[in-house]
Amino acid sequence: MTAEPAANSPNTSHAVVVRGLRKSYGQVEAVRDVSFEVDPGEIFGILGPNGAGKTTTIECILGLRDPDQGTVQVCGIDALRHGPQVKQRIGAALQTTALQDKLTPREAIALFASFYDARLDLDALLARFALTDKANAHFDTLSGGQRQRLALALAFVNDPEVLVLDEPMAGLDPSSRRELHDQIARFKRDGKTVLLTTHQIDEAEELCDRIAIFDRGRVVAIGAPRDLVAKLSGDKTVSLTTSSPLDPAALADLPAVKGLTCNGDVVHFTTSEPTRSLAALMTLLAERGVGVVALSVKAGTLEDVYLERTGAEAEK
Amino acid sequence: MSALRRHVELSLRLYFRNRMALLYGYLFPIIFLIAFWVLYRYDRVPLVGHVGELLTVTILGGACFGLPTTLVSERERGVWRRYRLAPVPTSTLVAGTLAARYVALVGAGLVQLAIAMALGMPFPERLLELLVAFTAVSFAFLGLGLVIATLADTVPAVQALGQCIFLPMLIIGGVAVKLSSLPDWALHVSAFFPGRYAVHALQSCATGHGLGEAKLSLVALIVIGAAGMITGSKMFRWDAQQRFVARGGKGWLVVALGAWIGMGGLAEAQGHVAAPAASPEPVAALNVSAAPSYNVAPALEPPSLSSDSTVVPQCRSTPISWRAVTLPMIESDALFEAALPPDPGLVTPMVPENSPPEPQLAGEIKKLTRALESWGPAKDGDPGQRVWNLLFVAGTFDIDQLAIERRVPWVVFDQMKREHPKDRLIKILYWIACNPDSLPVPSDEELKALELRGRPGDIRETRHRSAIYAIKLLGRLLGRIR
Repeated sequence: MTAEPAANSPNTSHAVVVRGLRKSYGQVEAVRDVSFEVDPGEIFGILGPNGAGKTTTIECILGLRDPDQGTVQVCGIDALRHGPQVKQRIGAALQTTALQDKLTPREAIALFASFYDARLDLDALLARFALTDKANAHFDTLSGGQRQRLALALAFVNDPEVLVLDEPMAGLDPSSRRELHDQIARFKRDGKTVLLTTHQIDEAEELCDRIAIFDRGRVVAIGAPRDLVAKLSGDKTVSLTTSSPLDPAALADLPAVKGLTCNGDVVHFTTSEPTRSLAALMTLLAERGVGVVALSVKAGTLEDVYLERTGAEAEK
Repeated sequence: MSALRRHVELSLRLYFRNRMALLYGYLFPIIFLIAFWVLYRYDRVPLVGHVGELLTVTILGGACFGLPTTLVSERERGVWRRYRLAPVPTSTLVAGTLAARYVALVGAGLVQLAIAMALGMPFPERLLELLVAFTAVSFAFLGLGLVIATLADTVPAVQALGQCIFLPMLIIGGVAVKLSSLPDWALHVSAFFPGRYAVHALQSCATGHGLGEAKLSLVALIVIGAAGMITGSKMFRWDAQQRFVARGGKGWLVVALGAWIGMGGLAEAQGHVAAPAASPEPVAALNVSAAPSYNVAPALEPPSLSSDSTVVPQCRSTPISWRAVTLPMIESDALFEAALPPDPGLVTPMVPENSPPEPQLAGEIKKLTRALESWGPAKDGDPGQRVWNLLFVAGTFDIDQLAIERRVPWVVFDQMKREHPKDRLIKILYWIACNPDSLPVPSDEELKALELRGRPGDIRETRHRSAIYAIKLLGRLLGRIR
């Protein structure tokens, strides 16, 4: 049977399209009406706290779970109807995959290669993932980093168009993380698509062209990290140290100021209009003859966005 | 196809790299074999009467412990979850695992046979039929193993569940304890266990007349295997997070259990619950020339050579084993009303009890008494067989018309009374009287050890005379003959 692009879909130009995805486990709604698209050649991250529905969404895309509702297309193919054809074009590395203790990387790659129509050269894969020296070592003798590299080699074995990685950096040391970043970047340079889940904000910010922030089974924000920061958190944080203590009452009338704290000669506040607030502040200091010892103005970060959107900040 | 071939290949490699798998799959059955060899060291032909049990244990261990342990352990590690990401149907990979396990079982079976032959067992002549039976047994138990893998959430649960099936099958299922040694109720229970059919099918190919006499067993194994495979594939779990309790489709278990119950019911309905009579002797299935040190009797004995062969009175009851014999059963029989050959006559003669031995024969009688005390067939593991072997000595002395023939029944009777409680001996003698044609007889070599010339030419007649002696001795035990 030949897999055909999904009918009535305007989204065949996207590498991955998820629409109205829902999945419940008993009474628990793990994924609630999730929709997003991933463009070809893009690194798309799904960011969210534990239990946000990231892995369930990924599992529905990979065919490990049947969604209760919704559609999934990969490379224009309906993944729910043509699972095997989609799997031929996807490479995946899961969060917790261990292989048999006595299996060697060479055997594992050869076995998984036999499952696919398209196959990359075994020795080239071993070399690419720095496993040549360990090609004949048993799995139980490999380090954590080597196991992760093997998992990635297995994901690359069919020269996939879309690479799906579930928490790929979990448990890796800094140098292994760096290697993995390089591999993902190389994959992107080859024009391939990456969809990954993570709960590490710095990783998402560094690697991803776009991210979707998940919370309690929903997408609460989606876009490029820079745009999200700009859109979701326009406030700037101002920190000021003065030459002598200020009267907090005098600062209360500053325009567009929120969350003001004044502890003697140290002042903190956020403002949605930094130019206006700072101009008024400087005028006030000049009128009172108070000097500026230190002044900083900081924009919001992705972490601020994440915490704000996932409600973690409120819990803090 | 390439995926299946490579998966089978790799599964086999992993199997042989796994020490625990080798321990359970190869070493454990060898220990069983050695134990059987020691336990049944007085068997006329070493181990040949236990091929069914040994191979069944081998398959049981590999299929009902080894297979589910591997499957559940791989599921717990996430291996099957990883396989699910590949464009190959899970059923293909399960089939590969089963095929690899079957090859490993065949290997273990061959090792068993090789060791048994090194210990003196002749080469099985019905090798092809034995392979067919082995395959059917493997199919049945691999299906069961697959079901266990779907039921157990963890490896320890596999061990617990496996033991629940393994031990009853071993003890009352006819696998480690011969059916002829089981009480009546256990024979009925054993009909509902596949182990019994496994032993019967394999043993029929080793010492019997091949699969032709084990059709029901073969059908039972295939039905039980197919039901297990269907249930196992419908309920197969590739994800460790899918706990059995929370999983749907448990109704498929009815298919697996239904096959056990159905075949047990069929065996009951067709009257196949009784312990199968031991195969007369293994010639039909053994290449005798390969075992020059053992002389085995023909499977089908020639018709009686004597024109006026001795008639053994027919029993009214047909007890399924000597254990099933009851006193009312004997009392209601007409065995003692039948005309038995008179004691002073030529057929089955006996001197009166406690009559002093003739001086010229005293030495010979003493010598026989001593020889019988350490005679191999008189040490057989099966009490019924032990008694029969001694009676056959008396029958042989009678047929050969040796000088002490009238004394020998008393010699063997004394030995029987020393070794068996009275009620057991009563049951065994009655059972022998009712089944004179089914029990194996001692070999030439064994009879020569008693300084006899070997087996008499007319074995059927010897059997019948031995059975008459059984009735005569039984009558004396019961006080029905004075």
